[in-house]
Amino acid sequence: MLQCTLGECPILTTTTPRVPLHQIYALPVPIRTFPLPTFYPNNPISLLHLAYAWLRQVVSPPAAEPSVHTGAWDPDTRSVHINDPKSIRALWEQGFFGKGSLSRSEPNWLKRELGRRAGQAGHVSEARTESRREERRNAKWKRAKAELEAIEQQRLEEASLEEARLEEAKLVEARLAELQAAEARVRATPHPAPGEATPPRTPPMEPRPPVGPAELLALPNSLASLAMKHILVSVERTYKPPVGPAELLALPNSSASPLVAAASEASASTTPVPVEHLDGVKAVPSSLANGIVSPPASVASANGSARSTSETREGQPLKRRKSVRFSPQVESTTFQHHDPPSPRHSAGGSPSRTTSVLVDEARDTAVVAPSPPIIFQGEAPTPVPEAAVPVGELANKEHFQLAPEEAFFLVFAVGTLSVVDPVMLAPIPTDKLLDLFCAHSYYPPREISSPSRSLQPQDPFLVNYAVYHHFRSLGWVPRHGIKFGVDWILYQRGPVFDHSEFGIMVMPSFSDKRWELVEHEKPKKSWSWLMGANRVLAHVLKSMVLVYVDIPPPSVFEEAMRHNGGIAEALKKYTIREVMVRRFSANRNR
Amino acid sequence: MALDDDDIPTATPLADPSQDADGALMAEEALEEEAQDYRSFLKTRNISAQTIRKGEKDFESHGTAKQENALEQSRQAMQEVLSYTRIHKLQNWQRAWYFPDWWADYNEGEERENDKNGEKRPYGHIRDRVVLLETPSATTQNFGRAVTGQPKDAPARSKDWLLPEEALYLIERGSLDLWWPTRGLEELFPPPTVTKDGEASAESLLDAVGEAFNTGEDEEYETGFPLSLQAAYSLLVGDDGERGKISLQKFQVYSNLKRASYQVHRALPVQGESSISQSPPSPTLWQWFSSLLSSERKPQPFGPLVQPGLYRSYVPIYKQMAIIPRHKPSAVPSSQFETSDPFAVHFHIWKPAAKWSKIRHPAPDFYVAVVDAQETEVPSFEEITALTDSTPPAPGKPEWTGPGRLYPRLKHGHRNVIVAVVDHGIINYMRFAEGAFGDELLFERFDSRTVPRGGKAGGRGGRGGGRGGRGGRGRGRGRGGR
Repeated sequence: MLQCTLGECPILTTTTPRVPLHQIYALPVPIRTFPLPTFYPNNPISLLHLAYAWLRQVVSPPAAEPSVHTGAWDPDTRSVHINDPKSIRALWEQGFFGKGSLSRSEPNWLKRELGRRAGQAGHVSEARTESRREERRNAKWKRAKAELEAIEQQRLEEASLEEARLEEAKLVEARLAELQAAEARVRATPHPAPGEATPPRTPPMEPRPPVGPAELLALPNSLASLAMKHILVSVERTYKPPVGPAELLALPNSSASPLVAAASEASASTTPVPVEHLDGVKAVPSSLANGIVSPPASVASANGSARSTSETREGQPLKRRKSVRFSPQVESTTFQHHDPPSPRHSAGGSPSRTTSVLVDEARDTAVVAPSPPIIFQGEAPTPVPEAAVPVGELANKEHFQLAPEEAFFLVFAVGTLSVVDPVMLAPIPTDKLLDLFCAHSYYPPREISSPSRSLQPQDPFLVNYAVYHHFRSLGWVPRHGIKFGVDWILYQRGPVFDHSEFGIMVMPSFSDKRWELVEHEKPKKSWSWLMGANRVLAHVLKSMVLVYVDIPPPSVFEEAMRHNGGIAEALKKYTIREVMVRRFSANRNR
Repeated sequence: MALDDDDIPTATPLADPSQDADGALMAEEALEEEAQDYRSFLKTRNISAQTIRKGEKDFESHGTAKQENALEQSRQAMQEVLSYTRIHKLQNWQRAWYFPDWWADYNEGEERENDKNGEKRPYGHIRDRVVLLETPSATTQNFGRAVTGQPKDAPARSKDWLLPEEALYLIERGSLDLWWPTRGLEELFPPPTVTKDGEASAESLLDAVGEAFNTGEDEEYETGFPLSLQAAYSLLVGDDGERGKISLQKFQVYSNLKRASYQVHRALPVQGESSISQSPPSPTLWQWFSSLLSSERKPQPFGPLVQPGLYRSYVPIYKQMAIIPRHKPSAVPSSQFETSDPFAVHFHIWKPAAKWSKIRHPAPDFYVAVVDAQETEVPSFEEITALTDSTPPAPGKPEWTGPGRLYPRLKHGHRNVIVAVVDHGIINYMRFAEGAFGDELLFERFDSRTVPRGGKAGGRGGRGGGRGGRGGRGRGRGRGGR
């Protein structure tokens, strides 16, 4: 994939829609231009082409741009609704205005719904996002699985090492017991006569002095002490430290105990080692691995984790260690979002309890009654797909909505939209529309008709619109940024082409001295607010821009509105200053 | 295709190459806050100068001996590192004396001059220099400064005087002992007397005391006594604006930057600087003439700003929309506001460089303002414009040209300043830069998107019809038919 560039990537070329995106979304605003063909001096035909194109436009001029769409103001949602499909496509494709009411941005509810009913996802962005998320989830799931498997592998290796050591320890134990028995026999026999002193039956040891078993055990590096220490350590992890080796050995369920017991038994009464018992030990991991619990056998699980979660001793709280195993065969390759990494080991859920918990409980309560093997299934019941509905019956239930800023830009700057009153169905004149939007930028909306209420320069709508207009008129595509915790996000070409690079916070300011005489709300933004917003933006790889809007005082604003000509003049009195903000790391800038 | 605005773009495989640096930076920043694996300390004995490579973080014990061994090893290493014995050699022992009032009446006005070579000297802050360094050494060579222009018989002439933050930083570092004098400066550091041989020598009380010190006699406290770290803090840390002291926040930022191996100087005091107010350059005759020719029609009071008509390019369309004045960064600061504490440059900092000395150095790499997170808010329009305007112009790299480098250009901005936000000792540095979106006229590139290429007019019309919904007016179809 490294050498695969955008142009030649086979995956990308197969998934590209038939019509290239840059052709669908060619126009940056809903205005078509009619550029004349280029004239190449070395190619006389291009001159003819130019003349022809020009003449054609002179003889039959195309309709004046822009043409006008109609939308209805909806006071309840504070947006402008558009229902004509042609207008919807035009506004979306020519500058990315508005959003579908049932879609994330592009109005494609109908397409999605048709795809869903036909039983396939279709090429809508929501579906693509969903599939990408699915991929990411699977990748994470697999990674977690690989990690756990590595840990499990490590644990098994360590367990086998430990087993080998225990084997040795067992031998030593047996030998020790033998010694002990011999000594006891020696002590029990009455003092022999000096003449018939028999040599001790113990085989002669090279270093004579440590004679008794106690001394032998006290030897620092004897094999037995090593094994003992090991047992001590492994048990200490979960239990209160046992006091002496005897107690330790007496521990009922330490994994060493069956072995040691067996060893001592063997030495004391020469009974054969209970083979079935050890077989059970061996059998458990495989049955565990298959996800089938066979209760009696699992009691003697030799697995490290099972040992550590063994039954409580003297009322001590039970310590359980999380352990996850994977089966060697894969039953299902699809995973649900809510699936645990290992399906049949999901912790604590009532229908699917973990096998280890079951094992533990079986041991805790000493229940050995056989129960039918339980097979755990990781799959949640999959929803039954709906019966296919005839496509022809489906009506588009989605409408298109424009935010007030977008609608006002299309009305006031481009002139391609006419907003009608929802009741009277008559177009609202632009100045009234401005009043309407400003009044609705407060909650609850302010009275428009009251004489005291007039346009105020600090109306949130005006401040936001100034920012929107500023960036739109430079060629950016601003869209509402509430999903990222900011006021606006800026696309260079549009959401279809690129990720937005900038998140904008609007900062109203009142620097003019005349504001001191006017009552207004001073914005207060704490540092933690800024850091929080910046962190969120950095997480989605966007840069933060604080856009300060210096608002003209009411006197200046009103004069511009009244005498010189409307909101066009009044907007000129706003000062906009962008401040780029980012974290500075002292360690990374040296 | 990137049609999802609530998606996390980190996973996008085709990243813009220009963004790679930023991405790496962010990953590193994430690492910055992780715990350290102390085993890496052990590999190299040179502890302080090491950048520690951080390992993987284990969130729970998974019961393998391997994990426990690693943890135990790391603990051992930490133990070993922490038990490292720091040695202060006698020849590195340095003493400084606290003389809070010696320069109290100094006239700072003299400190603004250029030196003989015409180089601008750093501002002296002489009145705030309250700690006298007894002898210079390698550790302190970039600290303090001598007060020049003193008469020849001035006591302690040409000795270095430290600012409170410099002294406190050295004391905390273990490089300096601060002493409280019980004798006057004249007695401790008498002016050099010219002997008969013509050699200048200063007969100081300290020489005698020094001998006593070496022999361990009681007379070593004849001239003064050493101060504890707590005493040093209480003497040198104070409120903002107190002479001879530094606020705790500023000291925290200072020592944080010093420990990150920057060179740090106190900047000019705020009130000393009067903002340069210049009227915008008057338009030349030609500009005035051309503005007459291209006199824009006055926009309609309530729009539409774009006059209906036939357009051959998007440039005139967007020019009609441009009514809100755009900010143009310029060499001359445009702000009419004055900086006011705390939104003022407090420190000039330089990246570590071999050829840096306290007297000779280039212009600072960064300008730092220190604010308290609880007592201040995000700066207002007046504060931030005054603050950025008080720094020199800083256009981006010259190679950042063309549409491909649009984002680096915009993100860098122009004049910039680093605001160190201190919240109870935790410092967060934020860089604020003057944005220049007004310099990037994106719409100028729109025409190249739609320009017809060599006689494809028919195909274009057909395409318009094929989409059906394009513009909702079927114009493309109509034109194609003609």
